[in-house]
Amino acid sequence: MTSARLGTAALLGAAMLLASPVAPAETVLTVASGSQDAGQLDPHVSTKSQDKIVFAMMFNGLVRFPPGSMNPGELEPDLAESWTSSPDGLVWTFKLREGVQFHGGYGEVTAEDVVFSLTRAGNPEVSAVSSDYDSFESVEALDSDTVRITLSKPVPSLLGLVANYHGGNVVSKQAVEEMGEGFRLNPIGTGPFAFVGYESGQSVQLAANDAYFRGRPAIDAVNFLYVPSNAARELAFLNGELDLALGVRQERWVNRMRNEPGVIVDVFGPGELRTLHMNRMVEPLNDIRVRRAIAHALSREELVAFVGASVTQPSLSPVPNGYLGHTAEVPLYPHDIDGAKALLAEAGYPDGFGLRAIITQRTSLLDPMQVVQEQLRRVGIAVELDVVEHSTFHAQIRDDLSALVLYGAARFPVADTYLTQFYHSRSIVNTPTAVTNFSHCSVADAEIDAARSEPDPEQQAALWATAQAKLMTEVCAVPLFEQLQVWARREALDYGFDLKAAISVSPLITEQATLTQ
Amino acid sequence: MTAPTLDTAPDTGRGTGAPRFLADLLRVFNANKLSWLGLVLFVGLCLAAVFAPLLATHDPIDQSILYRLRPPSDSHWLGTDSYGRDVFSRILYGARISLIIGLASIALGLVVGGALGILAGYRGGWVDQAIMRVMDVLLSFPTLIMGLLVVAMLGASMLNLIIAIAFTVVPKFARIARAPTIAVRERDYIEACRALGYSDLRIMVVHILPNVLGEILVLASLWTATAIRIEASLSFIGLGVAPPTPTWGGMIREGFEYILDAPWLSIYPGLAVLLLVFSLNLLGDGLRDAIDPKLRE
Repeated sequence: MTSARLGTAALLGAAMLLASPVAPAETVLTVASGSQDAGQLDPHVSTKSQDKIVFAMMFNGLVRFPPGSMNPGELEPDLAESWTSSPDGLVWTFKLREGVQFHGGYGEVTAEDVVFSLTRAGNPEVSAVSSDYDSFESVEALDSDTVRITLSKPVPSLLGLVANYHGGNVVSKQAVEEMGEGFRLNPIGTGPFAFVGYESGQSVQLAANDAYFRGRPAIDAVNFLYVPSNAARELAFLNGELDLALGVRQERWVNRMRNEPGVIVDVFGPGELRTLHMNRMVEPLNDIRVRRAIAHALSREELVAFVGASVTQPSLSPVPNGYLGHTAEVPLYPHDIDGAKALLAEAGYPDGFGLRAIITQRTSLLDPMQVVQEQLRRVGIAVELDVVEHSTFHAQIRDDLSALVLYGAARFPVADTYLTQFYHSRSIVNTPTAVTNFSHCSVADAEIDAARSEPDPEQQAALWATAQAKLMTEVCAVPLFEQLQVWARREALDYGFDLKAAISVSPLITEQATLTQ
Repeated sequence: MTAPTLDTAPDTGRGTGAPRFLADLLRVFNANKLSWLGLVLFVGLCLAAVFAPLLATHDPIDQSILYRLRPPSDSHWLGTDSYGRDVFSRILYGARISLIIGLASIALGLVVGGALGILAGYRGGWVDQAIMRVMDVLLSFPTLIMGLLVVAMLGASMLNLIIAIAFTVVPKFARIARAPTIAVRERDYIEACRALGYSDLRIMVVHILPNVLGEILVLASLWTATAIRIEASLSFIGLGVAPPTPTWGGMIREGFEYILDAPWLSIYPGLAVLLLVFSLNLLGDGLRDAIDPKLRE
């Protein structure tokens, strides 16, 4: 243990140190993400990637993705030990595991907590993902360990909505009611690690949950740092100050780090789809010829070459590869500069036009955006970039302030979530039910809605395929490429499972993880 | 600018008037050869910036992804950046931004600050108190913090950067202009001007300004170096001119992400900042010596 790590341990266990003169040899896992700060430490409020990694350590759902997988077909019991559903798929009954304790002495998990959590996740005043729960007619506690969910219409994946992801995370009712707004500064869950402290812009500290129902974690504490600079993070990692760090999603970085002794680079799913959304309500993007011209101007080949083929793949459809319901059978707009210029001329812009776009300082979006900017410049579209801090970017694009939005996201791997959040008229930004529909698209509402409650899987897939084709015909957005997750860890850290994918878009640290000194 | 004889005649303390100043300059520059180095470097960098379109080997914003992160070579003298853009050409064009922002912000600061300082010194009384206390408050902020504050409020653009940096130097210029104004104000020739019924504005602009300008200009040259560093610092923390416009600070910042892969991305623009700041400091030292009465005769 280096002195820096000892220092961290001392900081974390300050109370413990005060109580006993000799510090126990703690195993502290030091992790660094690439964001400047936490978003909001409430799993129903924040959907930001820097928070998901922490939520995944602190919370459980009724069911969970097995560690290392994000296949919706493999969901397994978590807080629920078993469940049944009615033949029409409208009534689901979950039996809770007994004796699961909340962190911080908030008592045993009861059906009341689950009812409270799911109701809260569906409440648009609190939750960022409330629209996912629109089909919930009621959530009731039949007794202290039985929960019944009644749906008004079938949903594509009910289990996905009660899994350890976003709104499915179960929070302590008592803690939320007692703390109110303060909950996001002191979140209480049931996961392998419990919240200890948060320092703005610095770190979140977690400690092993001694009472975790799958057994006490082998790692005693997690110090989760916010280190926005790639170079600083890399140096700290190579100096041994970090055990696990967000990498740079670039091929040459991956290759270079893999040559370092004692370093393992994990490249895993999900692929985050980078899509250029075009606000079709503002001039000149309201002209479909202009949007087509932009689609033709962009070169996926160049973007993939820019990022590196081993960490990225091109995408053609508005729904990411591998999602249930994805299809690549959509109208295509091959890279064609002359064609783009001709379309612009036809639309009345023979000399192109200027456009302002807001973009984050974070390199994972800023860098490809600069490639996009250059590709558009080649057809005469001058994009003026307004580079702002990452959370300002998120706020401003949701206020509908940017005509072009380059957005990267991984969602629950069913076509419905992506289509609903990005392309359903209900999700249009700057409206009461807003999610992330930056393009103001509404052309596939009927198909998206119909598919959600379509019981026949084939019919459902056909509806989703039609929706994707319609979106591409209308060119609401240009799907560009998918970027896989890249994290580096020291050999000493073993996850305890094979990391192929993680719904939390970051390595999952569970009770199985070990860190040899 | 030539001052009326009435003004220069009674002034015995320090040399004014362009020929005298130039003569001093020449003499001190000759005594301090480093000043010549500063001048040559500065003029050279200015010429490079002005003739960037002729000197640049490539379009500074044209990307060629296939040639990204290439080390210095015959075709790309200082290598290429992460987008395959030519670093040499970007540094040349970046010099324009650095110089424009450096010079324009100092000019703006000089005009506003100098005017406030002369007004405060000439009028005295409550005008002096009001102006100088506000300046004191502004001076209490560290320069970079002040620049950050203004850019954060106005948003990052070239004009706003100029305003922000000018804002940080206004109180400094006001102080520098005020002190000699107070001294000059008491001179007989100013008294004579008043007796002749000249307006305050005319006295300040025509009869006081030439006598304090020398000192202000020396500090302007030194502070231009500071302004260029502030611009680079603000660009480095992402509050500079928006991409793809090349700026030295922005280039250092972008290169920083690849510092272990491609150190040339940050080193060369860093050297450019160093050279320009160095040249302005040498130049400023020479100018200061030229007007320092202790170094005369």
